[in-house]
Amino acid sequence: MALLEVKNIEKHFGDTQVLRDISFSLTEGQALAIIGSSGSGKTTLLRCLNFLETPDSGTIAVRDKVIFDAADPTTQLEGEVREKRLHFGLVFQNFNLFPQYTALQNVTLALHLRDEGNKHREAIDDRGRELLEQMGLADRAGHYPHQLSGGQQQRVAIARALALKPDILCFDEPTSALDPELTGEVLKVIRGLAEQKTTMIIVTHEMAFARDVADEVIFMDEGVIVEQGPAREVIGNPREERTRQFLSRYSET
Amino acid sequence: MEQFTTVIGALNVGFYQTLKLFFVTLLGSIPLGLVVSFGSMSRFAPLRWLTRTVVWVIRGTPLMLQLYIIFFIPGMVLPGGSPWPAGYSGRFLAASVAFIINYACYFSEIYRGGIQGVPAGQQEAGLVLGLTKRQIFFKVTLLQMVKRIVPPMSNEIITLVKDTSLATVISIQEIIWAGKAFLKSSHGYSGLMWPMFFTGVYFLAFSGVLTLLFDALEKKLDYFK
Repeated sequence: MALLEVKNIEKHFGDTQVLRDISFSLTEGQALAIIGSSGSGKTTLLRCLNFLETPDSGTIAVRDKVIFDAADPTTQLEGEVREKRLHFGLVFQNFNLFPQYTALQNVTLALHLRDEGNKHREAIDDRGRELLEQMGLADRAGHYPHQLSGGQQQRVAIARALALKPDILCFDEPTSALDPELTGEVLKVIRGLAEQKTTMIIVTHEMAFARDVADEVIFMDEGVIVEQGPAREVIGNPREERTRQFLSRYSET
Repeated sequence: MEQFTTVIGALNVGFYQTLKLFFVTLLGSIPLGLVVSFGSMSRFAPLRWLTRTVVWVIRGTPLMLQLYIIFFIPGMVLPGGSPWPAGYSGRFLAASVAFIINYACYFSEIYRGGIQGVPAGQQEAGLVLGLTKRQIFFKVTLLQMVKRIVPPMSNEIITLVKDTSLATVISIQEIIWAGKAFLKSSHGYSGLMWPMFFTGVYFLAFSGVLTLLFDALEKKLDYFK
């Protein structure tokens, strides 16, 4: 059974069509990498899954339950969208940590706000510390974002996204805003999550990483899925000419 | 010495009026400015343009002129005559209204900068964590806005301290009015020059206190970037 089933997603920004007939599915425990050049629609697709953009048509189903249907406005009510988007976690390219909160507070804020009557305060803080420890940041719990390096900030952001136990964790170019020497520590954490069979969708420009860590790869170009398949095959031995051209540009740089 | 005590006494009375106008203006314009800033950011275009035009007119003309207009014009055009109560309380009310409108427009632009200055990613991060819009405003963006507006607000508020003296044009008996009175005659003295100059000490002391307060506030918000 597919955990996630995306069908026929279309999205326009004004006259520009950024997503055309996007369909794919994802099995529980799998990691899916989405690759493609800038402007190919990867990020927009991720934002659609997280209800940050509303597709013009198509459906999104999680565990066989349709949570979004462009043709059915009742699936787009604000209060329900708020709960439904919790199926997904999102790690942003620019971290988007809350600057006025410590690392631990960033991780636990949403849990505390959902904890009516503050009954589980201690348990939530324990869970937050546990997640930070898992990210190798146990000693940074009390630091504010500006006191952390980019790689550390991104790891806090990953912990924050994991805190709500999403079914699917999405990464939007998680290492693109980092200095090259800091990408390793973030990729290592994501690799660890893949080993624990966390269901993930990773938009990335790190081809070697996608090949090694992802189970499946989707190559997008101009808003369409050009090629899709097992990671090693798509990246190691692409069938489509456009995929080949894209990958060869990568190996040159 | 007796002269000094008398003058200080008179200046204190004037300074009390200065303070009154200062605090009344803040009390009115800080919330009104927020309403104006929402208007100037409205998605409803006519409201947005109306608000921005008002802000342009108010910021583009001298406060002194606005004081005259708000005090005199209603009485000239309204059939029932001036809406302002007779006497000093009416003049003070008119001055307060003029100051509140003027400062609300300046504050609205500062608020707008503060609100728009918080990156959209903060809102989005809150959304994907399932926070309500209300929670995002109060728990995520508000403090970041406050941090952004404190320095320009402190600037504007210190300007307000000095602007209160403009109210003298509709005979608000604030401190410069009280000091100037000694030039002609006041409290049995006449031809005294120094009381007017001495009012500067009051302004300096008051803006000094405000500067310290705002510095402390800025420092308090310095724990995050």
